[in-house]
Amino acid sequence: MRIAALVVAIVVLAAVPKFAQPYYVTLVLPALAYSIALLGFNLLFGYTGLLSFGHALFVAIGAYGAAVASSKLGIKSFELVLLLSGLAAVVVAIPVALLSVRYVRIFFGILTLAFGMLFHSFLFKFYNITGGDTGIRVLRPTLLGEAYADLDKTTFLIGPFYYYCLALLVVLGIAMWRIVRSPFGMHLRAIRENPRKAEYLGVRVRFFRLVAFLISAFYCAIGGVILAVNTGQADPELAYWTHSGELVFMTVLGGFASFLGPIVGAFAFIFLKSELMGATQYWRFWLGAILVLIVVLFPRGLVGLGQDLWNKVRRK
Amino acid sequence: MTAFFDILLGGVFHAAVLFLVAAGLQLVFGVQKIVNLACGSFYALGAYFGITSVNWAVSAGVPPSLFLLVLLASGLLLGLIGPAIELLLRTVYDRDEAFQLLLTFALVLMFQDVLRYFWGATPQTLGNYAMEYGKLSVGDLQVPTYNILVILASILIAFGIGAFLQRTRYGRILRATAENREMSQALGVNVRWMYTTVFTLGTVLGTVGGAMVVPTAAASLDMPVELVVEAFAVVVIGGLGSMRGALIGALIVGLMRAAAISWWAEIEMLAIYLVVIAVLIVRPAGIFGKPIE
Amino acid sequence: MTALIETTGVSKSYGDFVALDDVTLSIAEGELVSIVGPNGAGKTTLVNVLTGLLKPTAGVVRFKGEDIAGIGPVRLAHRGMARAFQLVHIFPAMTVGETIAVAVISQTHKSFRLFAAAAKDEAVRERVREVAAIFGLDTKLERQSRLLSQGEKKLLDIASAFALSPEVILLDEPTSGVSSGDKHGIMRGVVDAAKRAGVKAIILVEHDMDLVAEYSSRIVALQGGRVLADRPPAEFFSDPEIIAAIVGKMVGKLAKGA
Repeated sequence: MRIAALVVAIVVLAAVPKFAQPYYVTLVLPALAYSIALLGFNLLFGYTGLLSFGHALFVAIGAYGAAVASSKLGIKSFELVLLLSGLAAVVVAIPVALLSVRYVRIFFGILTLAFGMLFHSFLFKFYNITGGDTGIRVLRPTLLGEAYADLDKTTFLIGPFYYYCLALLVVLGIAMWRIVRSPFGMHLRAIRENPRKAEYLGVRVRFFRLVAFLISAFYCAIGGVILAVNTGQADPELAYWTHSGELVFMTVLGGFASFLGPIVGAFAFIFLKSELMGATQYWRFWLGAILVLIVVLFPRGLVGLGQDLWNKVRRK
Repeated sequence: MTAFFDILLGGVFHAAVLFLVAAGLQLVFGVQKIVNLACGSFYALGAYFGITSVNWAVSAGVPPSLFLLVLLASGLLLGLIGPAIELLLRTVYDRDEAFQLLLTFALVLMFQDVLRYFWGATPQTLGNYAMEYGKLSVGDLQVPTYNILVILASILIAFGIGAFLQRTRYGRILRATAENREMSQALGVNVRWMYTTVFTLGTVLGTVGGAMVVPTAAASLDMPVELVVEAFAVVVIGGLGSMRGALIGALIVGLMRAAAISWWAEIEMLAIYLVVIAVLIVRPAGIFGKPIE
Repeated sequence: MTALIETTGVSKSYGDFVALDDVTLSIAEGELVSIVGPNGAGKTTLVNVLTGLLKPTAGVVRFKGEDIAGIGPVRLAHRGMARAFQLVHIFPAMTVGETIAVAVISQTHKSFRLFAAAAKDEAVRERVREVAAIFGLDTKLERQSRLLSQGEKKLLDIASAFALSPEVILLDEPTSGVSSGDKHGIMRGVVDAAKRAGVKAIILVEHDMDLVAEYSSRIVALQGGRVLADRPPAEFFSDPEIIAAIVGKMVGKLAKGA
């Protein structure tokens, strides 16, 4: 039954560019990007129990990777850009993770926040390399070798690029699903529940946390690449700690205890933010208020809420 | 020599203000085990409200020379929001740390627009009040008296907090509750009331800190999010939960920043983050913190 | 008999405080050795040294001939020793089956399978069922651990230690929190299961002298960090000095004579 619902969702998403106004389609692209990023983020948060307040760092690496690759290195292939940016994120994640997974809870959060801001500071200050607060341009890549040169920017984005990213989400989603259901994933959950007991059962806690961290960094970078191609720009604010906070917000909004929660959260957040921004200049206030509601009343997020409602309906 | 002294003074002044905010953070973390991401928002609120208060006071006939008192008073007055916010935080005391962090993050978002609503997006300043008290001459050097007054005030507050925690009965109870909440409750301490008081005190320290800084810096909407990182740097270097840590950490961060701005502006915050990361690696508990895990 | 696990002259001090003083004992295959003593006698410290958690300040601790001082729980588990705790440790949000599976998977070195479905591995499921059945938990495989009764949680804790197929298992007050009627039943079940599972030796930390008398092949009594006695139960309980020193101080009935 669940698979049927998922297929329907994918079909609906595939149909969006055909039926919806371009404005809405350009919203779905960042939602797809954040969906991928959050799938990775939640591996670390929901499944392994580590809350990072610095994962925007890897989203930014993805974006800057795309920018540097296209603008400065002349790399056109989207596949290559994805691979290089993902790899860059993993390489950066190695020392960050090695240092951070020694600690848990608040110290992990503060350490990751510090790393994120370190990168932001670097992006901002070394403007000769990084373009400072204007960032670096991201040029349109080729998809599977095809340049689509005859399409203008918007048509490209809501056309071939959109379908490519949707396919990416499906593929990466399936991969993550298998990771989560694997013995590795089971060990991650054990580590989240009771790291000490996990150790006594022979689970190498730090190493597993490290691997989860690396995978999450990769996914976040892929999301960052999509975001950057969409906006055409990589800018340092992507690495600011409040952006990391938004990643957590989205995940909890959707529901961190469920596999699809983060995806639901990404879509909900993007649309919510867009509607609020259109309605008032004080949209941050209302977003904050919604977060308060979630934390206090609906900690299991929209998915949790949906499950509760479904159970109530079933009982009747 | 003058340059060196300017850096020293600038650094210590910045440290004095940072200490106030960090002390607030430490108190709240020490007793309630919550890290308040909104500490920067309180600071900014104190700054904006301080400007408004002084402008209002002066136009109402209060002599400009009393502006420091007006700033202090306005900071204290803002403490009234403390209990209300603490009530909100109460809903997550027993929950996972993630939710506590998220709730304070939500406050950051909300405060951002509250500030924008009341004071707009352009940075605000307090004009020339900093010079109201003139300058002191120390040998060849000229030092704005205001800065000295703030540093002195901060030192006084530091001693006050120290004395309160170490010498008074309430302070001892507070420290005991920080160590062991259940025990404290079992011994009849009204922990709820204590939490409200501590949080309010933490809030006031933040708002007063912000109020103190406005004669020398503009109040802007960037303040809340920028200060959090510096405040975190202070408590990590000094040690989470330690007052002495807040003092030493603030001095280190304040002086580092002043030095960096003068010598190599690019590395300003970068240097501080590197020190934070280095401390977390070498001695994660900070200089005065308790060892963890 | 070559010792399976042994300590030679082990001492542990914390500054001026001496927790263990020159403790020498060895446990061989086929033995069930109980460690007894009043609170503060050093049982916990000794157990932590035996399980590689603490490095002794002096002396050597060996498992299967190799020095295990301070190797930590992970390496200990992989070398073949498991430990079940006095305070129940569970994975609250994981089911009984999943909890046991964690141990089985780690022990069979399948932990790094990133893409295989854990739930579909028949070998693992079979073993999980096997271990759960020993402890009467096979009907509750799908239940979340946090929903179990206190006694069931205890059993799950022990069961997951068993699932590591250890050669030596250390049980820290395994029947505490279990009603006295069930204590013997559980103890017998555990000892039988251990034999069937190929566990070669059991170390038991217990306050209940009935159980100690019934199941131990040897009893080691600690007092003030020193070994007061190291005898089989018959000798142990017929020595009036020992009884006066140790048994009198402990909660629990005096064991009847041999």
